[in-house]
Amino acid sequence: MLPKLDPLLHSELRLAVMSILAGVDEADFTYLKKQTGATSGNLSVQIDKLTTAGYITVEKGFKGKMPRTACRITPAGQEAFKNYVSALQEYLSASKEVK
Amino acid sequence: MEQIKEMTAQESLLLIAETFNKSREGILRNSAKYFMLWGALLTLTSLVIYLLWHLTGKPQWNFLWFAMPVIGYPAAALMGKYDVAVPQNEVSKMLSGVWRVFGAFAITLSAVAIFLVPMNVSLIIVIILGLAECMSGVLLKNWPVIICGFLLGVCGAVFAMLVKSETQLLVFTLGGVLLLVTGLVMKLQNK
Repeated sequence: MLPKLDPLLHSELRLAVMSILAGVDEADFTYLKKQTGATSGNLSVQIDKLTTAGYITVEKGFKGKMPRTACRITPAGQEAFKNYVSALQEYLSASKEVK
Repeated sequence: MEQIKEMTAQESLLLIAETFNKSREGILRNSAKYFMLWGALLTLTSLVIYLLWHLTGKPQWNFLWFAMPVIGYPAAALMGKYDVAVPQNEVSKMLSGVWRVFGAFAITLSAVAIFLVPMNVSLIIVIILGLAECMSGVLLKNWPVIICGFLLGVCGAVFAMLVKSETQLLVFTLGGVLLLVTGLVMKLQNK
């Protein structure tokens, strides 16, 4: 039986955010916005969802005089992301076997 | 990017790979400008000292080497100030680590050679410069950079042993040009 895909990660924007954060120490909101091409409002909503799930942490502060929102993936987020990728690979293997 | 789009497993994996690569390329492209900064500084400093030493016959111009970190570190910090949005990944952190270690060795050994124990510091620095360049190539998975670093270390060491006084400095001019080239390679590799 195929594993269930994490619904929180099975969404284009949230998955893109998690993919970026999985490869870096932390990333600014502005960087995530630029990389994903999402609007500020949409990105904020998705970041809130990932934060609520405990997949990422958000730290608001200042760099010089500029406000800064830094996002960082948590160990739970890393684990969920890893499981999600494994599940996707199982889905792909299964579809190949069917073909 | 829409958050509600339904994706297949293949589309999801493709999105992960594309996002990851795009982010990685952006980070390395950002690191490239630091290679270019230090490359330009090294080329310029070595040429200025070479010319001054050659024209006046005074090796004391070598003290100008200490101007390099004095100019370079604040300049790099200033450049970093405008990179607020670019994070660090494992490769950029390791590259930065390699060159920080090189800088620490080069400055300390130069100071030791000038004030404590006279030694052929050009020979030692050119070897560790070649090594740092070579390791950068390994981290960037770029053969031309690896080969350039290797040749700089080996040929530079032979050159430093064969020639004397100000002519030795020309090997650092070549090293500076190689750093500039490494920066350009990184920029072009990660367009």
